[in-house]
Amino acid sequence: MPDVTLIIDGRTVTVPAGTNIVDAARTTEVAIPVFCYHPKLKPVGMCRMCLVEVWTPLIDQATRQPVLNPDGTPKLGLMMGKLQPGCVTPVAAGMVVKTVTDKVQFAQRGQLEFLLSSHPLDCPVCDKGGECPLQNLTMQFGPSTSRYDYQDKVHFEKPIPLGDTIYLDRERCILCSRCVRFQDDIAGDPVLGFDSRGRSWEIISKSDPPFDSKFSGNTTDICPVGALTSSDFRFKARVWEVRPVPVVCTHCPVGCNITLDMRHDRLMRVMPRENDFVNEIWNCDKGRFGMRHVDDATRLTTPLVRRGEQLVPASWDEALRVAAQGLMRVRSSAGATALAGMIGADASNEDFALFRHVMHGVLGTPHLDHRPGGPADVALETASARFGVSSGTNLLGLGTGTLVLLVGADPEEEAPLYVLRLRGIVARGGQLVTVNAHPTKLDGSAARVVRVAPGREAALIQAVVCGILDGGAPMSSRARGIDRLRTSLKGASAVQLAAAAGVEFEVVRALTDQLISAPNMIIMIGRTGLAQGSAVSDAVGALAAVTGAFGRPGSGVIALNPGGNARGAQDLGIVPGEGGLAAAQYWDAIARGELKAMLVAGLDPATLGAASASALDALDFLVVQDAFLSDTARRADVVLPCAMLPERDGTFTNAERRVQRSRQARQAPDGQRAHWQILQGIAAALGSDPGYSVSSDVTDAIAAQVPAYAGARYTSLGVTAGDWGRQANESVYYDGTSYTNTEGTGVQLPTGVERDGLPPVAAPLTPLTGGVPTGTLAVLVPRAYDGRDWARGSKLAPRMVPPHVIVGPADAGTLGIGVGEPVTLTSARGSVTLPAQIDRGLAAGTVLIVDVAGFAAADLCGGVITSVDVARGEA
Amino acid sequence: MLGAIFNGLRTTLGYLFRKPVTVEYPEVKRPVRERFRGRHQLKRFANGMERCIGCSLCAAACPSDAILVVPAANDPAQPNSPGERYAATYEINMLRCIFCGYCEDACPTNAIVLEHQYEISFYDRTSSIFTKELLLVAADRGHGEIPPVLAQLDRRPSPPAQIDL
Ligand code: SF4
Ligand code: SF4
Ligand code: SF4
Ligand code: SF4
Ligand code: FES
Repeated sequence: MPDVTLIIDGRTVTVPAGTNIVDAARTTEVAIPVFCYHPKLKPVGMCRMCLVEVWTPLIDQATRQPVLNPDGTPKLGLMMGKLQPGCVTPVAAGMVVKTVTDKVQFAQRGQLEFLLSSHPLDCPVCDKGGECPLQNLTMQFGPSTSRYDYQDKVHFEKPIPLGDTIYLDRERCILCSRCVRFQDDIAGDPVLGFDSRGRSWEIISKSDPPFDSKFSGNTTDICPVGALTSSDFRFKARVWEVRPVPVVCTHCPVGCNITLDMRHDRLMRVMPRENDFVNEIWNCDKGRFGMRHVDDATRLTTPLVRRGEQLVPASWDEALRVAAQGLMRVRSSAGATALAGMIGADASNEDFALFRHVMHGVLGTPHLDHRPGGPADVALETASARFGVSSGTNLLGLGTGTLVLLVGADPEEEAPLYVLRLRGIVARGGQLVTVNAHPTKLDGSAARVVRVAPGREAALIQAVVCGILDGGAPMSSRARGIDRLRTSLKGASAVQLAAAAGVEFEVVRALTDQLISAPNMIIMIGRTGLAQGSAVSDAVGALAAVTGAFGRPGSGVIALNPGGNARGAQDLGIVPGEGGLAAAQYWDAIARGELKAMLVAGLDPATLGAASASALDALDFLVVQDAFLSDTARRADVVLPCAMLPERDGTFTNAERRVQRSRQARQAPDGQRAHWQILQGIAAALGSDPGYSVSSDVTDAIAAQVPAYAGARYTSLGVTAGDWGRQANESVYYDGTSYTNTEGTGVQLPTGVERDGLPPVAAPLTPLTGGVPTGTLAVLVPRAYDGRDWARGSKLAPRMVPPHVIVGPADAGTLGIGVGEPVTLTSARGSVTLPAQIDRGLAAGTVLIVDVAGFAAADLCGGVITSVDVARGEA
Repeated sequence: MLGAIFNGLRTTLGYLFRKPVTVEYPEVKRPVRERFRGRHQLKRFANGMERCIGCSLCAAACPSDAILVVPAANDPAQPNSPGERYAATYEINMLRCIFCGYCEDACPTNAIVLEHQYEISFYDRTSSIFTKELLLVAADRGHGEIPPVLAQLDRRPSPPAQIDL
């Protein structure tokens, strides 16, 4: 857009046309007070706090020429003869804006007096007090006394719950609609609205359950008063009493930057910390309200060692010795391959390095994995490493010209913050295409929704690749192996592949055209796609190869591997080595007597199903590192209590390969140790102590040993670059809205092609041309609110998804199933009866089973997609 | 020589027959001035409710960081204080306190008041922490007068303070 030059308070600024006066002023550090405007939201001009004098050149009506002063300068006139709201007035050339005049100050004083005339002024008991823009602006711009009587103020019952996590105090609300606009425009959950008129005007929730959004916590941040407060932080502390510690959320692969607000070593609240590369100024409710488990009373406090039937407390020295000796005993009697290890994907890179050191380096087993060992385990993919978005990618900068292709992914449930990021791309003019077997929330924001048969995402992508290869369009891609792609498809045609995917060929053709015309393409694969073997990720890699959408910022593959640090686990070799088994194969191997001892860190495979539970029982020796006495830990010979996120330092790698540092907020309450420390203890007991003293020693060792991580040392991770432009003097307006990132925005690891300049090789494909399967297929779908350990003590507990089956209206009709009624699913593995939900968007022949706590998925499902018989269940 | 000694003792002898300025503490206790700042009390309203709303402003004002407030939400069926919030924990460390009275000034409800008690010695350091139980006046000792600072200034009291006025 062309630039416009104007003068604000005597300073000349040049900004793109269309910028509003408030934003233009921000660029020159002139701060215009605002309430309803927020730089992340569209302006609406509701509060009139931003009134300024706007002088524009006068135009002679007859000649259409500017009127000139005698000295030749253009004569200025006050726009429309009165003050103008700066947030909704776009800049124009030659404008002169005055923000500090008597008239403006009079208006600001009056505006604040008005707002306070029905404000309860209960700052002493208000959780926003201390970071409240209304307090701040009143101090800076407001009148010192009020001419209104307290008795004249509006009174409402206070506070009322707006949902499980949010309280609304209607007396405090200044009706700025920031919360409503956040929910409508940014989160895409239009669950809030205005009700009534005049003095009874109020915010209400329109959804059932109330405030049904995974992003509700953000409204408490952007509410410029204390009208919206969280039930999680209610009366826990005053905001100036807390000590904010920057950490990284490990609940999902987004890796949101968050801040733990600590008081006396107890967690008071979680706040987002701005990082434009990751989470902007937001986070999701799971990250914000799902951290209470760290103070749960049932946490393990001491190491436990088995004596007969009982686990009895032991000293660390003894427990580590017993663990090391037990593993060593099995190794000497049955060989290194009788040992296996698994460590959860939310551990840090340092934990992974030590885990590999102990299990592979010292004990020599190839059986390592970071996956839970259940039916929804993802296949190891390399597409996101080879064709991944290159360093310098920032989804916030993408818009027009960017196409986002979601394949077998449901970001709302897998990586909630991506919903906001992807909706942002759409809002800025980008396009979203979803390819799924079932409806997802982002379908609502998508330009095209492609519904494939369950498990046929790969066929659809292959059809597109085939269409592009056969289309004869000149291929500008630098990727290698493209010539082999066509032969690997063995003569399958795009039409055949489209039919195999269960999609009309016309749709495939239109989709192909859309994909090749997009200058930038981000391909995001989710758990459902990744769990179908390597077919989907290979197909997606091939698509990136043939379209050239890789190796530059803003184009490439992003894989949503479940867990906060699955990327790091794969990079640091927590994957089956040569001849190694994948976690899902462990249980049979134990039953066959091939595996005899295991070390399980931060995972609970015993809950997956009967097979894994009895396998764990059958082990000769089991060491478990966990924070809670899980079902797996109960079966262990040694249980080692681990430190949780606030108690440990470390680095984590997110889905976009951004390595970020998380800091320690407190000492572990009962001397629990971080995984890496425990593992170092075991290594020491095995006579191979690597001798690290702090976490950063391990980080440095990783940087020295793993080429991709060469740049990921604490010094570079601590560099802060880019934020949403909060100016030094602006905290008074945006107080309470996330924390400024002073502790580093992390480092995005380079892709292979950036490191060695060698273009990536597209893996050959295996054509998926079989007919669309008949019979019913059950898809095991992830849920963010899965009720696992993180939910302990959380205000979100009532929102945890109970085990249930989702059927389409057609199937529900034929089987005569109503909402909540029992459905029996029978597969080759077993049978289960669960209550039914009905999703109107689901096609006949597809049912969804939610993968949540309380449902032993492995007892029914052999993989993420399972062929089942569906019947009405006995009540 | 002797003359000089008697001359000096004359002053002493003179004082022997005057009324002494000292009192026999602790048998006799001297009244303190009205604005003396002694040991704190947490006041109540006339109806027995705690005035303290757990806002921590006293703790924020305290220059020696002597006060600890841990707030909590009132049970609406059995509120401790008017409104939504009360102090679940209220402690003053008397070894840190310098009796400046800033806490009293900061308190929006006139809950914390430095009273006239000055005998606050203790035998071990842990007893220097005065808990809410010690500081809070008995339930029947509430008072409902307008907070003096507000009465003085002839100001409309701010909402938390005017409850039950
Ligand atoms: S609740 Fe807060 S954000 Fe919403 S309209 Fe009221 S003041 Fe604005
Ligand atoms: S989006 Fe993911 S990383 Fe971000 S707060 Fe939510 S769970 Fe944590
Ligand atoms: S009198 Fe002064 S030092 Fe003592 S508790 Fe109050 S504010 Fe703190
Ligand atoms: S004594 Fe007063 S200032 Fe201190 S917490 Fe209670 S109400 Fe607030
Ligand atoms: S009207 Fe401009 S900030 Fe509210």
